[in-house]
Amino acid sequence: MTGFHLRSAAPRVVARLFVEAEQAGASLCVLWLDLDRFRQVNDSFGYAEADAVIARVAGRFRSVVGERGTLLRMGSDEFVALLPAVDTPDAERMAGRLLALIDQPMPLGGMLFRPAVSIGITWRHAADDPLSLLERADRAMSEAKAQGGNRFAVIAAEPPRATSGARAARQDLEIEGVLHVSLATGDLELHYQPIIRQDGSVEAVEALMRCAVGGRQVSPLQLVAVAEKTGLIVRLGEWILLQGARCAARLREQGYRTKVAINVSRLQLCSASFLSVLHAALICTRLPADAIELELTESLFMDVSPVVQANLRGAHEAGVGLAIDDFGTGYSSLANLKDLPATKLKFDRAFISELPDDRRAFLILGAITRLAGELGMVVVAEGVETAEQLAACEAAQVDATQGFLHARPMSEEALLLWMRTRRTR
Amino acid sequence: MDANEKDALIDVGSGGRAAVETALEKNLRAIDIPPRPLIIDRIRSEMLQDEPCFRRVGQLINADVGLAAGLIRTASSPSFGLRARVRSVADALMLLGLDVTSRAVAAISLRRAFPNSGHYVRFWDASARIAALSGWLAQEVGLPGLHAADAYTFGLFRDCGIVILLRRLPGYQQTLARANLDAKRSFTAVEQADCPTDHAVIGALMAVDWWLPDDMCQAIRHHHERSALAPAASELPRVSRLLIAVSQTAEHLLQELRGASRTQEWVKLGDACLPLLGLDEDGLRSLHAGATAIIDAAE
Repeated sequence: MTGFHLRSAAPRVVARLFVEAEQAGASLCVLWLDLDRFRQVNDSFGYAEADAVIARVAGRFRSVVGERGTLLRMGSDEFVALLPAVDTPDAERMAGRLLALIDQPMPLGGMLFRPAVSIGITWRHAADDPLSLLERADRAMSEAKAQGGNRFAVIAAEPPRATSGARAARQDLEIEGVLHVSLATGDLELHYQPIIRQDGSVEAVEALMRCAVGGRQVSPLQLVAVAEKTGLIVRLGEWILLQGARCAARLREQGYRTKVAINVSRLQLCSASFLSVLHAALICTRLPADAIELELTESLFMDVSPVVQANLRGAHEAGVGLAIDDFGTGYSSLANLKDLPATKLKFDRAFISELPDDRRAFLILGAITRLAGELGMVVVAEGVETAEQLAACEAAQVDATQGFLHARPMSEEALLLWMRTRRTR
Repeated sequence: MDANEKDALIDVGSGGRAAVETALEKNLRAIDIPPRPLIIDRIRSEMLQDEPCFRRVGQLINADVGLAAGLIRTASSPSFGLRARVRSVADALMLLGLDVTSRAVAAISLRRAFPNSGHYVRFWDASARIAALSGWLAQEVGLPGLHAADAYTFGLFRDCGIVILLRRLPGYQQTLARANLDAKRSFTAVEQADCPTDHAVIGALMAVDWWLPDDMCQAIRHHHERSALAPAASELPRVSRLLIAVSQTAEHLLQELRGASRTQEWVKLGDACLPLLGLDEDGLRSLHAGATAIIDAAE
């Protein structure tokens, strides 16, 4: 997308504009623009169409801001303009023009679509740093959205607050900075958590990414969320796929037939070249397809976009296992289970944490386990932390369990040692 | 890559060395794609220090005599365009900087990471010529963001996926021959029709694994795609497009000046490459004399 700075450049770009505004004795206005209902567009029309919509909206944004400001792309559907010496009436006029222009219909999936945006406006306060200014603009945008969208909202220049939103935004940018460096320097590591069958054998190991920010471990979920927002996920995903496959190959070398389960994100599955990369990883490591397994959230299995469906089918036909991850947290209906090419179902930890006290949770666990079993799926319970939870899972006839009770995620070296001491094949 | 060189991969010799080569191959077959050399990790971790110590990196490189000699030779070559003379690893480090050095080390390690026997020798020789020409051409066109050392590294890595597929997929040799001859479909489309993946995807995966910069990984991934070169439609970063254009043009120059080639890449991509480099046919011709000298020097 030409003319837009990347999100990772935001702190630097805004800091430079601070200095320039200071020297010129001028104000600095921020316009934060976010596309309304983008998720819906994405879900209904697929990734490529949604991208085309974004590109057009970005073009319209650029045409209104023109030479007057600096543009940043903050997320897949979020854009920011930084405008020196723009006062309130001027900014509101610009936002009004933007709303009118973006509202013009554009083609989408064979019909005409009227995009709408929410715009947040604010100005720099003397006590602001780049992140606090951006956070306030984001907050103004959220207000516009909360009022129904397709409008703008203004927050006057004010001293920065230490809200949880501001802290989260700050942390996101921090993680992103670390990810950029880690991906350039190889400072990333995969850890593996075993999944244990009722008979004590190892069913599989799940590959989980580890990355430290400021000496503190960042959860894989948080990492993936930031990587998705910034487009780093594709490169990261390919790296994880290859490393996970390598671990599976090394396990085989040592005589273990344990599968390695690898998490796959939505953006990876939306890529037309996903299957090529999957096969490339298998070819490079000389692995049969059934040595690895992909873990996907329920919503991905339900995704109607043809690319996602083709990728799922292709992986399944090649013999790669497909696991429904975090089952019980999304919207999948039981009726859909019959159409999914899944080979494994993983109950989310939230479900297991209710055990053994919650009788209804236990009954549902047992019933779905029987159903999934009859559909040929292996059922796994995640987040098993106590002996009581394990006993409840076993009583519900769950095939295998995963959690701190058995083992925490560990490095590949530690995993091999752990396998040896268990004498598991 | 010249068709003759690619053909050379197809004619597997059956001479007396075959037994030795088979033994070597067997040994290598146990591993997957060549793992990233440890030295790259070491240089990278030094780069993360607040004050990177060049002397320490120099010692690491000097500990591997072949690597040190390769770095001095590469940095001194006209492909890198350093005006000062490079006489030691310390010189190379000072002139190239840690970042470029780490990529140059990756390029030099690449060939050593693969089997260097029999039919692969000519493949790597051809890659080396394209890399040398690419580095030189990057200086000739002098476009911002396009560095000679990166063009050189890209030229070497671009086709490494071919070697991996040859070693892994029976029948890939025939696919390769067909891909070289196809004047309509892209090279990778021909591969994809026969195989579950293609050499550009494999090469890019390996580049990610070796921590090459993102622009270069993307360029490897898309280096046979015409649509990736079109400035308006392409999502590819400008630097990636320039790397592709430089290496394709270098390959074309090599084929023109050394004659006899049956690849169709220039037919499919040439007219998209030249404008990216600010060249026309006359401009291309004017490069012939300089290119000949580089090819001679690389042999």
